[in-house]
Amino acid sequence: MAGEKLDTVAIVEEKDDSPKIKNLSDFWTFLKKELKPRGNIATPFNLISLPIMILGYIFIVYRLAAGLGKPITNLNQDFPWGLWIGFDVVTGVAFAGGAYVLCFVVYILRAEKYHAIIRATVLNGFLAYLFYAGAIVLDIGRWWNIYNPMIGNSFGVNAVMFLVAWHFFLYMLAELVEFSPTIAEWLGMKRLRKILGSLTLGAVVFGICLSTLHQSGLAALMIMAKNKIHPLWYTEFIPILYFVSSIFAGLSMVIFEGSISHKVFGDQIDEAHHKHYDDILVGLARICSVAMFGYFFLKIILLVHEHAVPYLNSPMGYWFLLEIIGFVLVPCFMFAHGAQQRNTSTIKFAAVITMIGIIINRLNYTFIAYNWYVPLSQKYWPAPMELIITASIILTEIWAFRWIVNRMPVLKEPPAWARKLH
Amino acid sequence: MEELFTYTDIFATKGVEYLIIIAFFILIVAFWGLVNMRPQ
Amino acid sequence: MDRRNFLKIFGSGVATAATGNLLNPAKTNASEDNQATEFYGILVDTTRCIGCRRCEKACAEANGLPVPDIDELTNKSVLEKMRRTSDTQYTIINRYDTEKGPIYVPKRCMHCNQPGCAAACLVKAMRKRPSGHVTWDANCIGCRLCMVSCPFDIPKFEYTKAMPRIQKCNLCYDRYKKGGIPACVEVCPTQVLVFGTRRQILEEGKRRIAADPDKYVNHIYGEYEVGGTSHLYLSSVPFEQIGFRKDLGTVPYPEYSTGFLFAVPFIFVLWPIAMLGINRATKKDDESGHGENHENKEHEKGKH
Repeated sequence: MAGEKLDTVAIVEEKDDSPKIKNLSDFWTFLKKELKPRGNIATPFNLISLPIMILGYIFIVYRLAAGLGKPITNLNQDFPWGLWIGFDVVTGVAFAGGAYVLCFVVYILRAEKYHAIIRATVLNGFLAYLFYAGAIVLDIGRWWNIYNPMIGNSFGVNAVMFLVAWHFFLYMLAELVEFSPTIAEWLGMKRLRKILGSLTLGAVVFGICLSTLHQSGLAALMIMAKNKIHPLWYTEFIPILYFVSSIFAGLSMVIFEGSISHKVFGDQIDEAHHKHYDDILVGLARICSVAMFGYFFLKIILLVHEHAVPYLNSPMGYWFLLEIIGFVLVPCFMFAHGAQQRNTSTIKFAAVITMIGIIINRLNYTFIAYNWYVPLSQKYWPAPMELIITASIILTEIWAFRWIVNRMPVLKEPPAWARKLH
Repeated sequence: MEELFTYTDIFATKGVEYLIIIAFFILIVAFWGLVNMRPQ
Repeated sequence: MDRRNFLKIFGSGVATAATGNLLNPAKTNASEDNQATEFYGILVDTTRCIGCRRCEKACAEANGLPVPDIDELTNKSVLEKMRRTSDTQYTIINRYDTEKGPIYVPKRCMHCNQPGCAAACLVKAMRKRPSGHVTWDANCIGCRLCMVSCPFDIPKFEYTKAMPRIQKCNLCYDRYKKGGIPACVEVCPTQVLVFGTRRQILEEGKRRIAADPDKYVNHIYGEYEVGGTSHLYLSSVPFEQIGFRKDLGTVPYPEYSTGFLFAVPFIFVLWPIAMLGINRATKKDDESGHGENHENKEHEKGKH
């Protein structure tokens, strides 16, 4: 074939770039080289984020040694779950939903248009699970027992939490497999790259099953809080609502993260991709708007189904209406309008509003509409240390993302030998 | 336990739910048009 | 043991493991081998309680908790405000001022027949014992979902400790194993509390209501609530006036989670089938395979 000859030339040219790792000491030398920071260290972002991260790590050690009570968290007997579960874990996982949605679109439906952003999205999803779902270790009161659901001798197989714990663990593995070809390209391991690439479809299918179940499983955790969650929010169908909302929550995160990445890492992205990116944004906005339209109607049907309409004319009712109109219906039409006008700033703005709406929705279930009859003075409110630890986890994730994007072919083109496999 | 013997219609909202679905069918057509409309 | 007997036992064990834990809709880990014996429980006749708080003291002593003062003066001030069980109090007495005068109500874990806390536990630290006791074990990971899942807000977490536990009444399980009765029942001077099998105390409750229908409301709280509990309450006033929720329904709490849990195997079978099907159906002809992503192509190659 004619094309092959050209590629061979390209490989010879680029071969100097790929590391040649033959044994473990090669690997260590390479890793040591890669671990060194690149570029200017004293950037404003670093100078602001580093003190917060260090402070957060100190608080994390303090929390693990001292327990969960004041002053670390404001959790109490009425509100056993707060910011760490409600935001870090439950909202974080919803935002990570973009990975499974895009994997479905790209690998199952073969919509090639979105292939350009799949690596960054899967990486983001993987890191979100690693850091945000990993934050569950902090929230678990008896954290030294964390391995019990995995290798303990008394599996609570009928518990929703058991399912969620296993799905988190397995999904992290699935996403690692989905992302692994990029790591192999970084290491220059050609045979491994081929093998790992052949695992992708399997990992995608398995990952979508797991995602469907743990996105909805996070809602099923709250299903026995029937008499505690406000009737406007409680329904036996919350697992379906969580699953549907994870679609547009995840894609909004993809839009949000992508538009920042394209500014920060713009030099890694070639011209053709930059032009193509607006098409991708418009497509994602269309998916979001249609999913949100459906979600809004599910909310209305369940409102009637649960006999909750009379509650609308109350403070909690106004809060509910704000959520489903201000943070679902409005961004739904903003997405539709933005897609139709090809206006990317409208789309990005809608993504941010959607994300705020998802945070509100998830926090409603964990502590705002949960035990809603508790007087306001006794309600849970995140403590400063909870907020700082959360911030330091998010910042650590961003640092990890940046380190990987700067080294592995996530946004930049894969090496020529890997492109040849296409 | 007299409350156990009062009749409650467990399908009381079904009719309204179907009406909402009909409204949804009509609106989704309009919405689909909006999403796919060509820019002026 | 001869071979046939072994097979019989082994076979029934497998059948129980398969049907009892995985297939039967009503079974969650809340109800593992609950056919073994009858549940024990306590009948609480609130019309007899004088609010002396001796049960609180006996409970604290039996369970190694801070022992409260229960002299008359302290009682008076303590009973002024509504209290709830806490991580240092498994049982408390509240006074409710009703049209029939003050009514004293001991509160503690209801020991549900199908406890939400046990169904929620991913390591079976919270367990419904065959004897009816709902107990907590140290293999708990501290996720606090039992607190979220309890309709009566009973499990309490030790937020102030570095090595926290979930604290709640365990119906004096240790004393029961040694043949004793719960400390609160033993110490009660006015026989408010009656310990027995659930069948016995239910009969006793019904007998008391039938014998004196003017004194009691015709309702035993816990007979049907959340699928039945092992603590049963009698009252002279409607239960909502003495701090009981009437909106909990009669469905056992674990049943709310079955809809989701039973869908899981279906998703794991149907999703891969659907996705592999779509993936194959959207594949372009093998000859003109341009524009495909390489992963799929290689996957197909691997199969041939």
